[in-house]
Amino acid sequence: MAAQAADRYVGRPRDGRPAADRAAADRRLGYALVAPVIILLLAVTALPLISNVWNSLHFDDLSLAGLPHKFVGASNYSTMFTSPLWIAALERTLAFTVITVIFDMVVALALALMLNRKFRGRGVLRAAILVPWAVPTVVSATLWKTMFDPRAGFVDYFLGAVHPAWSSLTWLNASVWRSWVVIFTADSWKNIPFVAIILLAGLQVIPNEIYEAARVDGATAWQMFRRLTLPMLKPALMVALIFRTLQALLVFDVIYIMTGGGPGNSTETLSFLNFYTFINNTNFGLGGAISVMLVVLALIVSWGYVRVFRPSST
Amino acid sequence: MTAGNQAIGRASGRRLASQTLFYLGVAVVIVVALFPFYWVLRTSLESNAQVAAGVGGSNGVLPSHLSGSAFVNVFTQQNFLHPLINSVIVALGATLVTIVVATFAGYALARLRLRGAGAILGFILLAGFFPVLAMIGPLFLLFKNLGILDNVYPLIIVYLVYTLPIATWLLRNFFQQVPIELEEAAQVDGATRLTALRRVVVPVAIPAVFTAGILCFILAWNDFAFAVSFLYTFPHFTAPLAIVTFGQSQFQVFYNLIDAAVVIVSIPIAALVLFAQRRIVTGLTAGSFR
Amino acid sequence: MRLAASNQRHRVLVAVVPVAGLALGLAACSSSSSVKPVSAKAKQTIVFAESGLGTEGQQTQTAINGFEKANPNITVKVDVLSPDSTTYLSQLEHSFIAGATTPDVFETDVTYPAKFAQAGWVLKLTQFNPNMSQFFPHEVAAGTYLGAPYAVPWFDNPEGLYYRTDLIKTAPSSPAQVVADAQAALKKDHSLKEGLAFEGMKYEGAITAFLTVDSAFGGKLDPSNVNTSGNKAALAWLHDTIYKYHIAPTAVTGWSEGNVESEFVSGHAAFSINYPFVESLATSPPVKGHVGYIPFPAGPGGTPGSALGGEMLAINSKTAHAAAAWKLIEYLTSPAVETARAEVTGDPPSLPSAYTPALQAKAPYFQNVKTLNNFSAPRPVSPNYLQVSNDLQVMLSEIFANTKSPAAALAAAAPTIKNDASATP
Repeated sequence: MAAQAADRYVGRPRDGRPAADRAAADRRLGYALVAPVIILLLAVTALPLISNVWNSLHFDDLSLAGLPHKFVGASNYSTMFTSPLWIAALERTLAFTVITVIFDMVVALALALMLNRKFRGRGVLRAAILVPWAVPTVVSATLWKTMFDPRAGFVDYFLGAVHPAWSSLTWLNASVWRSWVVIFTADSWKNIPFVAIILLAGLQVIPNEIYEAARVDGATAWQMFRRLTLPMLKPALMVALIFRTLQALLVFDVIYIMTGGGPGNSTETLSFLNFYTFINNTNFGLGGAISVMLVVLALIVSWGYVRVFRPSST
Repeated sequence: MTAGNQAIGRASGRRLASQTLFYLGVAVVIVVALFPFYWVLRTSLESNAQVAAGVGGSNGVLPSHLSGSAFVNVFTQQNFLHPLINSVIVALGATLVTIVVATFAGYALARLRLRGAGAILGFILLAGFFPVLAMIGPLFLLFKNLGILDNVYPLIIVYLVYTLPIATWLLRNFFQQVPIELEEAAQVDGATRLTALRRVVVPVAIPAVFTAGILCFILAWNDFAFAVSFLYTFPHFTAPLAIVTFGQSQFQVFYNLIDAAVVIVSIPIAALVLFAQRRIVTGLTAGSFR
Repeated sequence: MRLAASNQRHRVLVAVVPVAGLALGLAACSSSSSVKPVSAKAKQTIVFAESGLGTEGQQTQTAINGFEKANPNITVKVDVLSPDSTTYLSQLEHSFIAGATTPDVFETDVTYPAKFAQAGWVLKLTQFNPNMSQFFPHEVAAGTYLGAPYAVPWFDNPEGLYYRTDLIKTAPSSPAQVVADAQAALKKDHSLKEGLAFEGMKYEGAITAFLTVDSAFGGKLDPSNVNTSGNKAALAWLHDTIYKYHIAPTAVTGWSEGNVESEFVSGHAAFSINYPFVESLATSPPVKGHVGYIPFPAGPGGTPGSALGGEMLAINSKTAHAAAAWKLIEYLTSPAVETARAEVTGDPPSLPSAYTPALQAKAPYFQNVKTLNNFSAPRPVSPNYLQVSNDLQVMLSEIFANTKSPAAALAAAAPTIKNDASATP
């Protein structure tokens, strides 16, 4: 019965049309079903990109109304590349990305190994780390802002046991490195869980037998981790790295909410600068140039990762 | 006691020590993950006077007394209900649009042997990585010219950049795992692709659609960048944007009020995580990895 | 109501259609339509945009009812925009950019008229022969661009120095005295958390806090050259209150006027730099009845300091109802109406003649405010003020966080500020 059905399907279906027709019809249907996704995503990504390229070659400042939207060549780009603000933001963004990604990957890997063990309370642990990931960045940023507030916060209250009561420590906007510590804390706290979950999925597909075989051969835990776990985890590591790197590279919300770029400009990142140029300065020409560079940077990073990881993972 | 017994004793002692250390680590992680929430809840239950006086003395990790005034004020004085409703509308709107569109696309990409399916999937993935802040300038101009700045509804479309890529991938991976025989059986009975899809495939897919829906809701609910760029009057704010503006008000808004709003915004998310943590974990990993 | 909602949804659908993307490149060019002026006597409706909420909004409505009674042919429709001043600005800007003929008349912060005037969005008021000499001259200056008036002072909020009269018996007479008094008060009263509270957050308010002390050191905020010894001394003093005299906490780097108000009103601060609104909030012990409010005392070579804040009224240059709009402005800024507003809202009138003996008897703080208004210094009047403001905020934030010395920060910011202030398209 089943065999007969399958036969009929492959050969000549009931409606009597040949299989090739059917495949063509399927394909037409398929494109119709996929089209909305493509159109919508093009509308929110490609259109803005094209528009940014266009705007970046023009003078376009809304606050100087009435001025023509005139072609200015590469002048927005040269303004950007020679702007100390942009260069500093680029350096900061890259430094933040490197430090955050390394730290988060290490901690997330430890968390994933923890979650990969079978123990009582695993569900609780998993739920506990999922909550920080799931809440809005506004929540994580406000939460840590409260925690580090010299009056309302826990951190200074806790440190008060160590230092005299009068020497309360202001973290945000009172010192460059302390501001970064708080931003970094809030950002990692929120994003490590996601990386950990991805790595956990990678760990779970590694068959247990290979560890047993290694144990029989007398391998130590560290050797097994180095020689077996890490290589087999490579695909998951790549996914986690790409996600986390791009997130860190585009960091905006947490900085806007916690420091507004201060003290001075010292916590401004590329995305922050982009926001500021568009929305506060209404300069869509220069903003367009910064946006285009942001996209280029994101593409370079993704392409780099794919290049590095591809040969062995396929 | 023999030497062998001693060795066993030492080994089990070491096991016990490592076991203790492990659970200690688990405890540390749970505390680090959840203690800030406790602190925010604690602050939200303080009175204005307690916040102004600061933490210390009798008002320590446990507050000296509890007050619900911040939760009342956040609604009565600050009209937080408006932004909350706006957030629900846009997050649900984006979720609904996403699951309808992504279910069909996911099915087509998994089953209908499209030419260029790989490229399409690659494009969708890439769109998911698109720098959000690079979109705001042109979209701002577009919305300005259409007269729909400071309006929450356009955010439904904009939020698709967060939700569509992960939902499409997740559902495509799901459909690849659904046994093809199910559909074939239906088609043998004379049903077209579309009716087979509706009658057989969609019911099977409901759990996966549900998972995608939860993830989409979380991602849309969490947006800040678009809201802060396109909305500028309080009645049109989303909840996260409203929380941030409480802190920027020119009149004193105490931490208890801000944190009460934080607690309110976190509750639906925390509930989703508790009820659907398994789904979320499988969803995240199926959508992003494989 | 329902119709409006479904209409919005319809417009959203339009946004989805990718063809709409073409609109991306097109600028809104609908502004050139010329409108025929309507006489003040004709029957008409004008739109008035303001940011007032609560009692301020109610009082505005009361005043408008009075206006409509006196001018039965004119109906005033009130548009309430955002209470946040930056947001308010962008709302106005967006309608001006679109070339809208409404609002016909609107409220504006003292820092915007120059920008609006340069863009051609507001009407030059010379045609109405306004009597500007009846207002406090500093606020008039804020509404003047290239020698012509573009905005009329509505109310005048001078920022000054608050002190606790129970802890400091005589008002300090110099910046050094402020430091000494604050240190003495901190020693004497252990319920104090700081000697001085001021707005040090990276936002507009940090500039007004700086301006409040600036002239006391002989400083002046002239964007063409901010690197003067007076400005340097003023900034050094603010910096030193945190890092040398230890009378202000580092926490000021996160404080806006709301935080400063709460510090003073809850009795944590001996001195604070803030706006007049604080006086009406000091209603409970230990500060109740012990509030002094003065211009910041002058040091050698300086004059008493105060920063000008306040709101003005201006007319949309595209309006057809200029005559009626001007009538409304005249009415709202008349001494009797301003006095009535001050009694209810506490908004300090913009003309000295509105400070009637009755008003001063009712709320003595108006006497202080009137004094302060004689000293209040406006922020730079420049069409590029937003950029200048951003440069100043960055500089102040660096100084208050001690990442740069006042002298170095000032030297570094001076050329940028000069450049941004003079930049013309």
